[in-house]
Amino acid sequence: MAKVEQRRGVSDEALREFFREMLLIRRFEEKVEERFRAGELPGFLHVAIGQEAVAVGVCRALADGDVIASTHRAHGHTLAKGTHPNELMAELYGKLEGCSHGYGGSMHLYDVERGNLGANAVVGGGLPAIVGAALAFKFRGEPRVAVAFFGDGATNIGTFHESLNLAQLWQVPAVFVCEDNHWAESTPAKQHMPIEDLTRRAEAFGMKSMKVDGQDVEEVHRVAGRALKHARDGKGPVFLLCETQRLVGHYIGDPQVYRDKDELHRLEETADPLELLREKLGLSDADYEALDREVRELVEASVEFAKAGTDPKPEDALKNVYA
Amino acid sequence: MTLSGTVPDGDCPSIRGTVPAGGCPYNRTAVSMADEVKLPRLGQGMESGTIVKWLKAEGDQVEKGEPLYELDTDKVTQEVEAEATGVLLKITVAEGEADVGTTIAVIGRQGEDVSALEGETAQAVAETAQEEGSPGAAREAERERGREATASEQVTEIRQPSGGNGAGARIKASPLARRIARERGIELGSLKGTGPEGRVVAEDVERAAAGAPAQPTVTRPAAPPGEVERIPLTSVRRTIARRLTEAWQAPAFQIAMSADMTRAQQLHAGLAEQAKEGEPKPTVTDILTKACAAALMRHRGVNALWAEDAIELHPNANVGIAVAIEAGLVVPVIHQAEGLTIAELAAARADIVTRARESKLRQEDLDGGTFTISNLGMFGVEQFVAVLNPPQAAILAVGAIEAKAVATESGFDSRPLMTLTLTCDHRALDGATAANFLRTVKAFLEEPGLML
Amino acid sequence: MPELSYREAVRDALSQAMREDEDVFIMGEDIAEMGGSMGVTQGMLDEFGPDRVRNTPISEMAIVGSGIGAAMQGMRPVVEVMYEDFLTISMEQIVNQAAKHRYMSGGQLKVPLTIRTQGGAGWSPGAQHAQQVEAWFVGVPGLKVVFASTPSDVRGLLWSAIYDDNPVVFFEHRRLYGLKEELAEQIEPIPIGRARVHREGEDVTVVATGRLVHEALAAAEEAEQQGVSVEVVDPRTLQPLDEDAIVGSVKKTNRCVVAHEAVTRMGFGAEIAAVVQHQAFDWLDAPVERVGAKFTPLPFAPVMEEYVVPHARDVLEAIQRTVQRDGS
Repeated sequence: MAKVEQRRGVSDEALREFFREMLLIRRFEEKVEERFRAGELPGFLHVAIGQEAVAVGVCRALADGDVIASTHRAHGHTLAKGTHPNELMAELYGKLEGCSHGYGGSMHLYDVERGNLGANAVVGGGLPAIVGAALAFKFRGEPRVAVAFFGDGATNIGTFHESLNLAQLWQVPAVFVCEDNHWAESTPAKQHMPIEDLTRRAEAFGMKSMKVDGQDVEEVHRVAGRALKHARDGKGPVFLLCETQRLVGHYIGDPQVYRDKDELHRLEETADPLELLREKLGLSDADYEALDREVRELVEASVEFAKAGTDPKPEDALKNVYA
Repeated sequence: MTLSGTVPDGDCPSIRGTVPAGGCPYNRTAVSMADEVKLPRLGQGMESGTIVKWLKAEGDQVEKGEPLYELDTDKVTQEVEAEATGVLLKITVAEGEADVGTTIAVIGRQGEDVSALEGETAQAVAETAQEEGSPGAAREAERERGREATASEQVTEIRQPSGGNGAGARIKASPLARRIARERGIELGSLKGTGPEGRVVAEDVERAAAGAPAQPTVTRPAAPPGEVERIPLTSVRRTIARRLTEAWQAPAFQIAMSADMTRAQQLHAGLAEQAKEGEPKPTVTDILTKACAAALMRHRGVNALWAEDAIELHPNANVGIAVAIEAGLVVPVIHQAEGLTIAELAAARADIVTRARESKLRQEDLDGGTFTISNLGMFGVEQFVAVLNPPQAAILAVGAIEAKAVATESGFDSRPLMTLTLTCDHRALDGATAANFLRTVKAFLEEPGLML
Repeated sequence: MPELSYREAVRDALSQAMREDEDVFIMGEDIAEMGGSMGVTQGMLDEFGPDRVRNTPISEMAIVGSGIGAAMQGMRPVVEVMYEDFLTISMEQIVNQAAKHRYMSGGQLKVPLTIRTQGGAGWSPGAQHAQQVEAWFVGVPGLKVVFASTPSDVRGLLWSAIYDDNPVVFFEHRRLYGLKEELAEQIEPIPIGRARVHREGEDVTVVATGRLVHEALAAAEEAEQQGVSVEVVDPRTLQPLDEDAIVGSVKKTNRCVVAHEAVTRMGFGAEIAAVVQHQAFDWLDAPVERVGAKFTPLPFAPVMEEYVVPHARDVLEAIQRTVQRDGS
């Protein structure tokens, strides 16, 4: 018997949307892995498999005009923020039709029109700019919020501390979303930080913090909404800690020699946000397959689109250096 | 390493006892037969010379002893002989001034690669590379040598193996100077640079272009009518000017006498008749030279050189004869004239005068003079005062033999008189010595038998 | 016309911009009540209030980074890094972020940020408070670099920097803050990328920046007495560089000296020398001379500091070397 439940704030329909979105991200990332292994994608890539719920949950809570800045693991945030898979895939293939027009690649995905101020290859590199954006919103009295995504590894770098300090000091409308997947590349949390509860780091700056299970998209969405409201209401920035899991290696091709394979399997079984939501929604196999087909078609089409895209001319490299 | 020997591979003193791929490195140097022709020091105090003309061209066969080029030194323009036999592979200084010791050409075997000498250091690199057994490094050294060979300009650079005098090899000139020289068609090599380390700067080229070269050239451009013609100084003339200025500073005095040349002329006629075919005929000058040489032996104080802190009395009368040539004045010397007969003096005199006129004098012809005779008689000069030829203590100026009225016991007679004017360096001689000498010369001329 | 000091000229540019344009604001350490460690922003807190004249914590990365963020939203922040030595702390944000956002986004973003900073030796500040690091930024595509040496230049150029849509690293020189000049009420914006000829001459071109512009002018006076006519050119903007003006001058004089207070090795003079050598090769009558600090960190003891840092006599000696003749 199908379970139909009405949840406060999030309808089933919305949740299905979330699922579709997450599935799109999942299939997109899997396709990216496949195409990379086929040798079609230049550079290096970091996929967000396992962390889809955070991306969708937070981005679906944003209002128009809110901006985000992401990390090197940016595909999920970029898609969730509204960039079409075609443009994203085209960027990964280095085409002019890509969202950064071939100038950025996987780690420098920008979609300014849709409020995406860029993925960043430097750990913690995008945080100060988010503080600045929030400052500008405050200056102008705009009801907008600036959101930064980063991982637990980034909470060790100087920009993290300087940014939280400054944001809290100036009470700017910013939300700092920490995707704690317990790994900084190949270094487990135990090896890179002396504490376990990262909200203590926000506390150190007197900043409000919230914690959520990052594999539960509904929860993420709900709590993110609260954080955004808090900031938007002028009550100051919020540190949003999302406990999540990276179900893949750091980069495509990472053999994860540093990781316990059994542990990984266990997580795949128990902590996959898609599976968890699928179960929660009580999706039938037929429904699931229908959604899956739809999403896979979109992804396939994006690859077609990208491959048929326009290569930049070599001299195009000389453009866009200065405004 | 000798030029002649080669080291058998088995004896090669290379590193690690193994003979490198190209054979023993020592052989590579030994095999090169190329001789560097360097500008010789032909006289005391010679620091540089000007190459006037090459008598052989690149590619010509050259024999040791053969005249190779003409060199203009302080004193004379002379031919310089080749010191090696072989093919003139390369002329590196075609014209112009070069310092003593500069490599000006290379003689070697036909087809020999002269760039080997250029890339002396590259060779050393190659040797080391070969010894290390690294083909890559050897290839690099080869490329380096090739690069250096092709990098040579109008004046090719040949590196001295061991810190030799590099002047005259690469021309140092600023880019601006080079451009102006190129545009105006001026040879950089002919310019003396006034920039740091002798670099030719724009000003030097501008000056040359304006027609007043810092370096003398042999040709004189014809001046258009009505314009002042500036004759650039040759090296010879500059030397003459310098030496005469020096001489002028000596406190000099002159004493004059006239000699009755009747008996000398009779002697001359007799000797001339007796002269064999093909032999130079003695002249009155030769008799004069004999008279002076004999007198110098009697009055040793006049056969002297002023040596600043001493007066040098010389044992032999090395009599210099002033000869006018196109380039100016030269004074070739007849050595040990006191021991020569008049006929021998004539032969010597004829030889040096001819060679002087043909610019074939050698340094030894000019060195060692103790006394000079200058004769302007053939130009109709009655009497003149010659300037000292330092460091010689005295010089005799002789005028034309002219019929003059002379008082005799029975009235007046016409006698052939010749003026003798002796200029002396008062630091080395005083009046009495000079007068006694000149009286002896006069006596010898008036009665040659007294010289016997 | 009123006389303004270099310091006052900077303040004037900031203040006039802030009066006219709400999007302009300044932030940095100690710029509010204290009026800045160099006194540049004195009085501005009273006029504009603490929101627009913002004291910051000691967080160079966040200072520059938040400036980047605000700039990306269309504001025109002017952030101050107190000593240019501390640009090193914010290098990541300047080089990896500010310089590259426009490019990496394929032209979607502009970062109209101005980063003001200052440096200069001569008062024994020690090795970590007096470096001259302008050359480092010239080599970062996406940045503009300005270094003004007079009150009129600094005012006109700061205005242009604020209104340039690119990130500008704006260098001031602490020893020049007291320098006075008569300035018009109305700010005359000076285009970024335009050099200035301070003094015309015939024999040698001296290209100088910052304090060394004034040392070069003194050396030029002295050289004049010795019969050498010196032309002094201040590029004012290091990136983009006014190559035409500099090369044109050297083609006229045929000799070039480059002078800056920064260490000679890899200093900006190296770039100028390369440009001159390449574009005016056939016009050079002497090698290009460089004047800069000796290759040491800045020592503390005054006699040592004096020795390391270049002065007018070093410029004069360089001038003399270009016209030197053997034996003279």
